[in-house]
Amino acid sequence: MKKVCENWKQAFPTENVGEQLFSEFEKRATGAATELFRVKTAIEAREIVANLAKFTNAKKVVTVESPLQEAAGICEELKSLGLQVYNEPTDIAEHAETADIGISTVEFGIAESGSVCMDGYAFESRLVSMLPPIHIVFMNSSNIVLGITEAFEVISKVYDNGYISFITGPSRTSDIERVLTIGVHGPSRFVLIAIDEEVAGGAM
Amino acid sequence: METNNRNVKNEIAEKLGDEILRGSLGRFAEAYPAARAKAYENVADIDALREQVRQMKISTVADIEKVADKFEAEAKKRGAQVFRAKDGDALKKYLLDLCQEKGVKRIVKSKSMASEEILLNHTLEDAGLHVKETDLGEWIISLAGHKPSHMVMPAIHLNRDQVAGYFSKELKREISNDIPMMVQVARQNLRKEFLVADMGISGANFGIAENSAIGLVTNEGNARLVTTLPPIHVVIIGYEKLIPTIKDAAPILRTLPRNATGQLMTSYMTMTAGRTPLMVKQNGKWVEQDKELHIILLDNGRLKAAHDDKFKEIYQCVRCASCLNVCPIYTLVGGHVYGHIYSGGIGAILTALLNSQEDFDKINELCIGCRKCVEICPGKINIPGLIDQLRSQTVKEKGLPFGVRMVFENVLANRKVFHNLLRLASIGQKPFTTGNVIRHLPLFLAGMAKDRSLPAVADVPLRDRISKITKKIAKPSKRVAFFAGCNTDFVFPETGEAVFKVLQDLNMEMVFPEDQSCCGKPLLGMGDREIAKKIAKRNIIAFEDANADVILSSCPTCTETWHETYIDLFADDAEWKKRAERLAHKFREFTSFVSESYAKAGRLTPAAGGTKVTYHDSCHAKRGLGIYKEPRALLDATPGYDLVEMKDCDKCCGMAGAFGIKYTEISMPILKQKITNIKDTGAEIVAVGCPACMMQIQGGLDKQAPHIKVKHIAQLIADKIKE
Repeated sequence: MKKVCENWKQAFPTENVGEQLFSEFEKRATGAATELFRVKTAIEAREIVANLAKFTNAKKVVTVESPLQEAAGICEELKSLGLQVYNEPTDIAEHAETADIGISTVEFGIAESGSVCMDGYAFESRLVSMLPPIHIVFMNSSNIVLGITEAFEVISKVYDNGYISFITGPSRTSDIERVLTIGVHGPSRFVLIAIDEEVAGGAM
Repeated sequence: METNNRNVKNEIAEKLGDEILRGSLGRFAEAYPAARAKAYENVADIDALREQVRQMKISTVADIEKVADKFEAEAKKRGAQVFRAKDGDALKKYLLDLCQEKGVKRIVKSKSMASEEILLNHTLEDAGLHVKETDLGEWIISLAGHKPSHMVMPAIHLNRDQVAGYFSKELKREISNDIPMMVQVARQNLRKEFLVADMGISGANFGIAENSAIGLVTNEGNARLVTTLPPIHVVIIGYEKLIPTIKDAAPILRTLPRNATGQLMTSYMTMTAGRTPLMVKQNGKWVEQDKELHIILLDNGRLKAAHDDKFKEIYQCVRCASCLNVCPIYTLVGGHVYGHIYSGGIGAILTALLNSQEDFDKINELCIGCRKCVEICPGKINIPGLIDQLRSQTVKEKGLPFGVRMVFENVLANRKVFHNLLRLASIGQKPFTTGNVIRHLPLFLAGMAKDRSLPAVADVPLRDRISKITKKIAKPSKRVAFFAGCNTDFVFPETGEAVFKVLQDLNMEMVFPEDQSCCGKPLLGMGDREIAKKIAKRNIIAFEDANADVILSSCPTCTETWHETYIDLFADDAEWKKRAERLAHKFREFTSFVSESYAKAGRLTPAAGGTKVTYHDSCHAKRGLGIYKEPRALLDATPGYDLVEMKDCDKCCGMAGAFGIKYTEISMPILKQKITNIKDTGAEIVAVGCPACMMQIQGGLDKQAPHIKVKHIAQLIADKIKE
């Protein structure tokens, strides 16, 4: 899969980055209605995804793979539960609109705002994050930068062309009577699984 | 230009009677300041952050052509077509030609105020194109046939029942007024549109010259779909959204969501640079190709503004609309009375520069200069200052209405005539007043006080009491010349007497230069800088002759006029500028000067309490002069008073010079809320530091709470000084 940058981690700052920022990140992310799970190993992440699929009665999943997801064995697990799982670009294009869950991996989190930064160069990576009602993302729990300023220092080093998004919780609106309502055009649930275990290749 | 025959007063009356609008705006205005403050809780230095936005934008506009050239070159390098549209017509032609060439039938749009500004949708629809706004608020108002009433929340003027009505009509089935249900209905209906659209049109919150990326800040996720699904993406971006580097986006993104909606970040912040990959189904098979990208840079008055010494300031706007959220006028009347597309203070300015000065002229008075907006604007734009500038531009080009001009030229510009008329008024008012009230001065002279009565002109003005109240000080520590201003001289001479008493008690010699007159602010408020200059010169001469160590005023507005406006008036006149500056240096506001003198004398220490007093901050004192601690310290140091704070103590009382008189209907609800806040404190006295606020609050107390008295701080202190 083509990306804006093949190795985001190389662009991370030397200071104001790391696991010690996780609790602040967690506070801000959950404050923005992100459903956040932190686990030690990729295997534990598999269980969370499997449970979510069961509880939501999901039938169809579209996923763009990453070493982190592969280490967790997400595809195999979901297939073994009887779900239709699509991870090839053309299959994703065909099925994203009717899928119940989209799964992908994000590059880093921002403690200041509880946002995550997604490399959306590939068309299919965007589809899994936009079209299904539930979006699950994976992230390494040490990939947290302090603030928006630091995030842009990272982006500034790697960004030439393509698509980059910050995601901060689910899709929302307050356009009718200023009543906060979740899930307009994007996912109504945004689930973040932060994994402590470092996997070779990480988020790539 | 909008319709010429607008009756703004009727429109305002209608909006003030609109319970739904008043309810929504009122609740929002109530909740907004706390939401914003909470969002900034993890920003150590908000002012430094705002300064960062401001500086970045200032340096960008100084180089706007270069930045635009770079942006265009980088975009082309990445496969985009770039078109520079000088106005709406040019943009529309380009877009219609493009649609025709590419066989575009269906278009989805995410929010673009620039496209609203040029009324793009009408043109596209007239050409037979199927156009859908996909932002929920924008979709609702497009169904309603309304214009946006707020830049961030376009449908804030509608309630759930009205929205359900528009949905039912559009979808030809009964839609209930349940909000989450309606949101789902919107999702389902618009999702179909995204999937089949031939073209997506988006705006941009910023455009980065370094790599031609555009940034979009949204909550719903519609902009992501608009920029991802259709095979053609058209960006409409105004020059003011350009920034030089990728890193420059950070200060915008740290302020825009916090100020706009009280969020640390919106749900989505999307950046896209160059042609991105896209998959399309051809003959039943998905194939990858590059998306077609067109970027339209819209001028429509922006480049002219960029080269104007004053108006280039609009480039500091990030379109968060927070200036609307804190505006006492906007939050009462909503956005539609502003006439065109942009509303509130910044909207009035944008309308003048991007649409037409004529449209601005109809609504230019809807700014009371309270500066609540200046305090929170991420780009620190002096919105009331720019509005004043636009007003004077109109006056310069077209002159004041005849009657007003006659009064200004023949009366205000001539101190003796003006003061004689005021003396006559004090006699002449008697048969016409009920109780103790007459119309405001000097505006009543200009026939502007039609709907409303205000405190009477005093029987004996301050200037005729001077000999009685002036004490001979043997070895004065300072010689102080008092600048009274019209209100203190002719309506509240007791305040002037109190000032004399307090200063003489500090062993200072008081003098009252006879030739002083109105400071000129009412003229400047109406945009007449020429007559204001004449008046300023006379005042300057009068106070040069007084040869004092300090010039003192108990009116923050007069103080500010001397400090800033006089110097600004003579920007092109080196000699008078120098003279104005020399006096401005000596010119002090009462509470600030007295608290400083008390502190030096060791008298600024807390004293025993007593009567409950609450303090109302005048806009000009708090946000113009930065004076708000000093009056409180003085009250605290004066024996017999207990200071209790009221809610929104620094919110405008609704007077604001001519405004309270001309737009009584708007001024009154603002005053009513102020009086309610005062009553809630249980205070017996409202302390003020400004005679105009005093006039307004006195009028409100008379009606709603006659047992509460309003007094200038000078009087409260003087009352406790033993003879």
